[in-house]
Amino acid sequence: MSHPKLASLFNQNEARVDWHDKALWFVRHKRDLATHQVKGWEALRDLGHHIKAHTLSNLDNYLIEFEKNALENGIQVHWAANGDEHNKIVHQILEENQAKKIVKSKSMLTEECHLNPFLEAKAIEVIDTDLGERIVQLAKEPPSHIVLPAIHKNRHEVDALFQEHLNTQPCDGDPQYLTHEARKHLREKFIKADAAITGVNFAIAETGGFVVCTNEGNADMGAHIAPVHIACMGIEKLIPKQEHLGVFLRLLARSATGQPITTYSSHFKRPAKGHKMHIVIVDNGRSEQLGRPDFRASLHCIRCGACMNTCPIYRRSGGHSYDATIPGPIGSILSPGKDLTKHSSLPFASTLCGSCSDVCPVKIDIHSQLYKWRQIITQNTKQPFIKKKSMVFMGKLFTKPTQFARIGKIARWSLRYLPKSIINARPNIWGKSRDLPNGPKQSFDEWYKERTKK
Amino acid sequence: MGSRTEILAKIKTNKPNLIETPIIEPQVFDEGLNLIEEFTKKVEAVGGQVVPITYEMDIHTEIKTLFPDTALNFSTLEKAISFNTLSLDNIEKPQELEDLDVLVLESPLGVAENGAVWVNDTSFPIRVLPFITKHLVLVLGKNDIVPYMHQAYDTLNDFNFGVFISGPSKTADIEQSLVIGAHGALSLTILLKND
Ligand code: SF4
Repeated sequence: MSHPKLASLFNQNEARVDWHDKALWFVRHKRDLATHQVKGWEALRDLGHHIKAHTLSNLDNYLIEFEKNALENGIQVHWAANGDEHNKIVHQILEENQAKKIVKSKSMLTEECHLNPFLEAKAIEVIDTDLGERIVQLAKEPPSHIVLPAIHKNRHEVDALFQEHLNTQPCDGDPQYLTHEARKHLREKFIKADAAITGVNFAIAETGGFVVCTNEGNADMGAHIAPVHIACMGIEKLIPKQEHLGVFLRLLARSATGQPITTYSSHFKRPAKGHKMHIVIVDNGRSEQLGRPDFRASLHCIRCGACMNTCPIYRRSGGHSYDATIPGPIGSILSPGKDLTKHSSLPFASTLCGSCSDVCPVKIDIHSQLYKWRQIITQNTKQPFIKKKSMVFMGKLFTKPTQFARIGKIARWSLRYLPKSIINARPNIWGKSRDLPNGPKQSFDEWYKERTKK
Repeated sequence: MGSRTEILAKIKTNKPNLIETPIIEPQVFDEGLNLIEEFTKKVEAVGGQVVPITYEMDIHTEIKTLFPDTALNFSTLEKAISFNTLSLDNIEKPQELEDLDVLVLESPLGVAENGAVWVNDTSFPIRVLPFITKHLVLVLGKNDIVPYMHQAYDTLNDFNFGVFISGPSKTADIEQSLVIGAHGALSLTILLKND
């Protein structure tokens, strides 16, 4: 289904839309407070941008350096061209270690590769351990946000889910009680796990180590208890040096939730005695995106979610309306690169207001890329009949000033005198759930001429 | 090995011409922070507490007054024999640490801008310790606080595993309401040593 169709489903419940909108704006506001406290915030964003741009321009060599150092550290390194190969590699490691019970911390990459259903089909239990991810896993839904996976659920829905699956008492949606019950439930899973899977926030070429950031401590509880740790990373997670972490850890949490840093920023370099550590490096379309000069910078993304929290469309249409692993503005420039036809409506799910680009900690020109995708999509995919015809009509009209002035006059008059039932009639989608402004008496052109005459 | 060659070849063809590495100039961010003040403020903001101690105080006695009724305590500091009610010698698997109440570790580094404290596994023999314990106590010297992450990374050299910890574990995944105590420690106390 296209974005407008899914968004209209979400919009059937107006109270929920309002609540969702406010909840995300609250996070955006916390981000503002946190970033305004940092002296040189813009310089920090510039650094983030340029370190990523530099890394991408030398990515193959940095990956080789990373692999060499990781191997020396005693980490086993695997390479996957696509999601399917990634899943097979993970499964093979699990099989070699007779691992049947897996705990997983947040990793958008494993979502992208659909690892859970793949492993479950092979009778392996996969438990998502981030609270938000566990909630959506129990609800059999995908995450609707990359940092706040269950932001679309209210406390009463969580209450009901936990009663059904974790045998909790009805608690009128008390977050304290529910979180405590989730801690008990997941503690048991951590203790019994045969292997842990985590994502990677940053991998460092110079040291062969990697960093995982969480607030809950779930990545660490998993990785340090289970005898096997598998960390899955996209090729773009690499940074050249340890000193670059100073820049990115300052940017990440402030942009994501307004915290000065996440509770845990865990630096894995060598496996503990008696434990095994694996890294799976995944391409899955990223090297192709690297070859598109206009869209290359989308690979700078550090997955903070700020562009979603600020986006007027995302806040009012919900993460599921994007029907993609990464929703929101950044998802809308990543997804068309993977499947242009399936995701052709996404770059249009934007007002092009540019707020996403303004908050992005690594200064991705998100809204310009959305605009560029629109050009490509209009040329390459079938457009609705009315849109096509009206574009041709408008194109011609704009080349004929006298005709333009005449039609403008009629339009302004109509807006003033025709009844709403005609103005907002079905073909005018702009009149759907909003009134058009009253038509002014003068056109801009007339106003300007009169003004210069005086 | 999988698709290593293929991936690297594709990147090589598709990457842009080499772009220079930017240079980080930490002085750009310098606000002349009062380190102890800022550090304390940030630790409290993220849900932890800072307790100043002087060198003549006995650290473990102080901790006992903070956590009077705990059963299983473990400290990696010196002179902890009477404090420790758990011996790591008998621990075979990390799981067995599940009931640990209080863990005390020494930290070499704190960061003022975010209240984060660094610990690495040279100071704790089993990696899950600072996460599985109910209450975490970190002992930090006043002179070991640096202003920003940039200075912090200048001092971090060799470690197998290390972590910046900023406050107790937390989550806001249920309707954005903050709950302290997710999977990791339920509380974080930093003893700030006047040395
Ligand atoms: S595009 Fe920028 S703002 Fe959006 S998630 Fe990525 S880093 Fe954050």
